[in-house]
Amino acid sequence: MKNIYFVPLILSIFSLAVIAIALQLDTSPEMIVGDSMQARSFPIFLMILKLILIGILSFQFYKNNPKPVALEKYHTWGSMFLFLLFYLLTVYTDMFIGIFVVIFLMSILWGERRIWVTFLTATITPGLVFLLFDYVLKIRFPRGILMNLYYG
Amino acid sequence: MFEQAISAMASVVVDPYLLGLIFATTILGVIIGVLPGLGATTGAALLLPFTLTMDPVHAIAVLATIYVSATFAGSITAILINTPGTSAAAATTFDGYPLAQKGEAGRALGIAVISSTVGGIFSVLILCFAAPLLARVAYEFRSPEYFALTVFGLSMLASISAGGAVKNLIGGIFGVWLSTIGAERVTGIERFMFGNYELYEGLHFVPIFIGLFAISELLVQSKTIDKIIKTVSMKAVKLPTLEDYKKIWKTILRSCGIGTFIGVLPAEGATVASMIGYSEARRWSKNKKEFGKGSIEGIAGAEAANNAATGGAMVPTMVLGIPGSGTTAIILVGLMVHGLRPGVYLFTEQVEKVYQIFGSMFVANVMFMLMGLYAAKLFARVSLVPTQILWPIVFALSVIGAYAFQGQLLDVWLALIFGVIGFFARRHGFSVAPIAVGLILGEMVETNLQHSLKMFDGAWWMILTQPLALMFLVFAFLGLCGPMIFSWITRQKD
Repeated sequence: MKNIYFVPLILSIFSLAVIAIALQLDTSPEMIVGDSMQARSFPIFLMILKLILIGILSFQFYKNNPKPVALEKYHTWGSMFLFLLFYLLTVYTDMFIGIFVVIFLMSILWGERRIWVTFLTATITPGLVFLLFDYVLKIRFPRGILMNLYYG
Repeated sequence: MFEQAISAMASVVVDPYLLGLIFATTILGVIIGVLPGLGATTGAALLLPFTLTMDPVHAIAVLATIYVSATFAGSITAILINTPGTSAAAATTFDGYPLAQKGEAGRALGIAVISSTVGGIFSVLILCFAAPLLARVAYEFRSPEYFALTVFGLSMLASISAGGAVKNLIGGIFGVWLSTIGAERVTGIERFMFGNYELYEGLHFVPIFIGLFAISELLVQSKTIDKIIKTVSMKAVKLPTLEDYKKIWKTILRSCGIGTFIGVLPAEGATVASMIGYSEARRWSKNKKEFGKGSIEGIAGAEAANNAATGGAMVPTMVLGIPGSGTTAIILVGLMVHGLRPGVYLFTEQVEKVYQIFGSMFVANVMFMLMGLYAAKLFARVSLVPTQILWPIVFALSVIGAYAFQGQLLDVWLALIFGVIGFFARRHGFSVAPIAVGLILGEMVETNLQHSLKMFDGAWWMILTQPLALMFLVFAFLGLCGPMIFSWITRQKD
């Protein structure tokens, strides 16, 4: 199978999965729904429409034979990996430690060679944003190592 | 009503806090506009969480100011470094950069500033008059009409500039499906929540939009790190001469009309408007050969149209709750978050607030004109901020903004997940704006369809017996199938 059909295939699997899950949803009694529709009907209707469109898209691909999309550079995959790292750091340490580490590593990953610039960016940005949200907008951030120290 | 509207608009000028806010936001909007990749939509998505604690008028004024000023500012980099700051300024590069290369960058920017300002102010005036009139028509709408209208809005996704028609419709349907996550409104049955009760009231727009527009853009920008930017030097911005005005006034007026009209159409935006404004300027010009080589009519045609689309796009957003573009989708979320329900109610119960928002847009247009004339050179330097510094900062603003909205970490994870989804969608030629528009319109479509079915005892075809609903459905059909039908007729004639 050609690479170009990968996207329609993924979209079709997704649509079929949604239909399968929708069919498992509870149904409500006739006296509540009345002449309207069950909660499952609308998502199933949408996915059927989507499957029809995916069929048309596949036909367009067959007729036009578009170029396959090239793989990303390591910067992009690295940035996505940093998102995962951010998740782990936020859950197990602190959101602001996560932001500091991700800004620092992302700057280096994207080509910044001046360590002091990346360090300053990684420190000042979350610091300023924290001050703005905490003092001006009165937002309480999730507890973690740093926030426990701050909130007590 | 008229006096109330005038006094509300005038109150903007005598409110120093609001004026200061518009001034600061205009500077921010211009900076956002000149930074390639950070357009009006991304900027508005990032700023939305900051507006949560503001007064409703101030919050919407901030978002609307970002919209108009960033749309204009895209032209600064389009002219000086041949890189449109926003997609709406892409047509400006065709003649703006060649004119700048001839040593007339100041003149090109002067024409862009004046054309954008006239386009922006023209569309705000149309907004002031057209919106209440349309609201009166919308007063007659019931569920069948609203259902048909939202179907029409979704069908217009097929003609959004980025992506193909089929891909945009798939994106729109995906967005509508996202709106079904959570408890169903009539029966309370949980859909696609997988036991996660934070999703009981559905996905909220703010983290999704931050993900789709800001984080996906970050990943897109990670592919363009090695891009080398060549700048054109400029002494100062020059106001157009009398000779220039004689040459471009008709083009500006034409583009004002085109831009406003395109903006009013649901799901169309400034990018389409600028492209049509440019091509119409070329079609009507006596100097067609100059186009592509530095024609001032080309710059005026594109710039007047893209800024005229901003006011036009606010009409369906505020009157019908149907966003005219990605940025107006965010403004619509801003309206809803602040309890300003778009529609007739807004124009009957909240007239003063509505006209203060319109007044703010008017003032923002004047402010970006002054900044464009006197500080464009300075702003152009901002575009040289290294991407390896700028985008990590955008990451920080995105995750904190997503968290700040409801104070739950789930929103941060949703923003990151939708950032990755948005990136892969864009990588394969799907635009993310249809997903956003679908998400907003999803609830309207389903709820109004349910109400219509109840109204007609389950006879769905009765919707077609309502004249206005039928009209919108015919428009939707023509929007989807019109191009195919017309090409078939042309082939038959040939």
